[in-house]
Amino acid sequence: MSLDPVQVMKGQDPLPKTCPSASNGDSKASWDDNKDIHENVGSTKKPKPPKPENAVTIAVSSRVLFRTEKEQKVFEQKGIEEYLRYQVEHENEPFAPGPAFPFVKALEAVNSQLRKLYPDSEELFDIVLVTYNHAHVGIRLINTINYHNLFIERFCMTGGSSPIGYLKAWHTNLYLSADTEKVQEALAEGIAAATMFMSEKQIEVSETQLRVAFDGDAVLFSDESERIFKAHGLDKFFEHERENENTLLDHGPLKGFLEVLGKLQKKFYAKGHRLDCPIRTYLVTARSAASSGIRALKTLRAWGLETDEALFLAGAPKGPMLEKIRPHIYFDDQMFHVEGAVEMGAIAAHVPYGIAQKYPHKKSTNTGK
Amino acid sequence: MEDKKNYTGPLMIALQYNDLFDLDSISTSTDTDALPNGRAFTFIKAVQTVNERLVEQNKSDCLLFEVILISKECSEEIKMKVDESVKHYGLEIGKFFFCKKEELINTLQSNKVKLFLSTERDDVYEALHTGIPAALLYDQADDHVLNQLKVIFSGDVIGFSEDSLDGLSEFGFSETQIETIKTAKICMKEFAVLIGQMRRRFGQENSPLCTCVLTSWGSRNVCASALKTLREWGLDVDEAFCLAGAPCSPILAVVKPHILWDGGLLNMS
Repeated sequence: MSLDPVQVMKGQDPLPKTCPSASNGDSKASWDDNKDIHENVGSTKKPKPPKPENAVTIAVSSRVLFRTEKEQKVFEQKGIEEYLRYQVEHENEPFAPGPAFPFVKALEAVNSQLRKLYPDSEELFDIVLVTYNHAHVGIRLINTINYHNLFIERFCMTGGSSPIGYLKAWHTNLYLSADTEKVQEALAEGIAAATMFMSEKQIEVSETQLRVAFDGDAVLFSDESERIFKAHGLDKFFEHERENENTLLDHGPLKGFLEVLGKLQKKFYAKGHRLDCPIRTYLVTARSAASSGIRALKTLRAWGLETDEALFLAGAPKGPMLEKIRPHIYFDDQMFHVEGAVEMGAIAAHVPYGIAQKYPHKKSTNTGK
Repeated sequence: MEDKKNYTGPLMIALQYNDLFDLDSISTSTDTDALPNGRAFTFIKAVQTVNERLVEQNKSDCLLFEVILISKECSEEIKMKVDESVKHYGLEIGKFFFCKKEELINTLQSNKVKLFLSTERDDVYEALHTGIPAALLYDQADDHVLNQLKVIFSGDVIGFSEDSLDGLSEFGFSETQIETIKTAKICMKEFAVLIGQMRRRFGQENSPLCTCVLTSWGSRNVCASALKTLREWGLDVDEAFCLAGAPCSPILAVVKPHILWDGGLLNMS
């Protein structure tokens, strides 16, 4: 199967000084505005966004969708009034793409394929911008969305209040943010969530196939086995996994997201697109295929879930594997792995869940699970 | 931004007494008890908080909220109960008016009311249709008294162009509804200008007044247009929401506004 790798926009590219500003509602733009109305009746030139409960809703914050490091610095060093003034001053300068940008673009690519095959279905990805930002930054954000031609029509700019209530109101299936605390809050509410980080190096990713990779323990599965390993060491871990091979692992925070991806995949299979499915999923785990990996596979099977590829690294570093896979997003509960991946240019997201948050990884040990 | 005309009078808001007090659970046996709180209670408390903070900043500030109570004709007994209850809760009510339903509109007009607030959608749209600024008093789910007054402006009413609003007839809106929406925009402007002046008395954080734009049907560009227009009117809102057809109720339940300017366009399904 061939990929169509496309150069991901590097953050350092100079962007034009200004971008076309959003319509000001003058009568000149009148008939164009009619396509701005999303309604059941009448023809609309743009496809209508799906109902939140039917769609797979991905909520992203402005800091992961776009690069806002400069503005962050202004906020941290000079306070909110100066920060908002700066944003308004630079309103017509679009932000550069952030770490979640390729993922969002890939979701849109899947949507256009789904719309071709199922024109009346609402089972699509719906991307919502949920940001802590004040509405003063709204015009700049909308200008940026227009500039990059993203299909994002829904947003919540909460002006400093917690976004968690809005995540629930949107039936969010996955929340991506730069703020670990908010991600942890979301996880506590049962919403799949992860923190993303920008890196200077970015390896190319496909523009036509969405690739999502998951770590096993404490991401798809609970952290129960991880706890045994941390408390009693490797041997005890192996023993425990062998003894409990036929007991299902408990589910982890990203299990639900894998599930909804699987549902969309089946829609492609039903129309004969099994081999060239525009969604591909991967399990990338430190477990070993011969031993502890079996319990993981049995659990997935019992849940009626599967990943297209399962990579058992038996403790080997994950970096080279990720470089091969080139996922649009890779979820891991251990910061050490996420940092390593990001350094290499892979897009990785940290799921701050479970026991690993209390015990940072010791670089010297080469663990084989 | 310079205020074109620095309005310094009170910002008069009219409420109906049956929104302020829960009249369904009147028990005539206990004469001395005050009426139980109604839906407007948290609104009044929030308004009083804003006034307190405004006066704190500037003792001689005249741009303050003033709340008046309007009600349709009722018995002397109820009039007394209302009066007592207002005193009991320490509510700052400027004036009371008791009038027939037909006189409601006149009473509002002659008192130069800047906003008529009601939980009854029909009353609101009727008032708007005659050019009286009117908005929905959002029925808040819990009784938490917030120390912040929240106002939502409809991004659809402000952001759609005149021609787009006319085009709404294709989507099932009647002539009357479209006219009401256009009038609402004019009324919103006056109110937004005043709220903008008030809002600027406070900083970004810890403000007792919070303003929002909610676009129910319009695209992100309609929302951007609304944000720009509000800025021209002197109001930089704090929060913005764009729903693109998604139902409003779940979002409103999180925002918890007091005043909801929708002009009849909100998707409350």
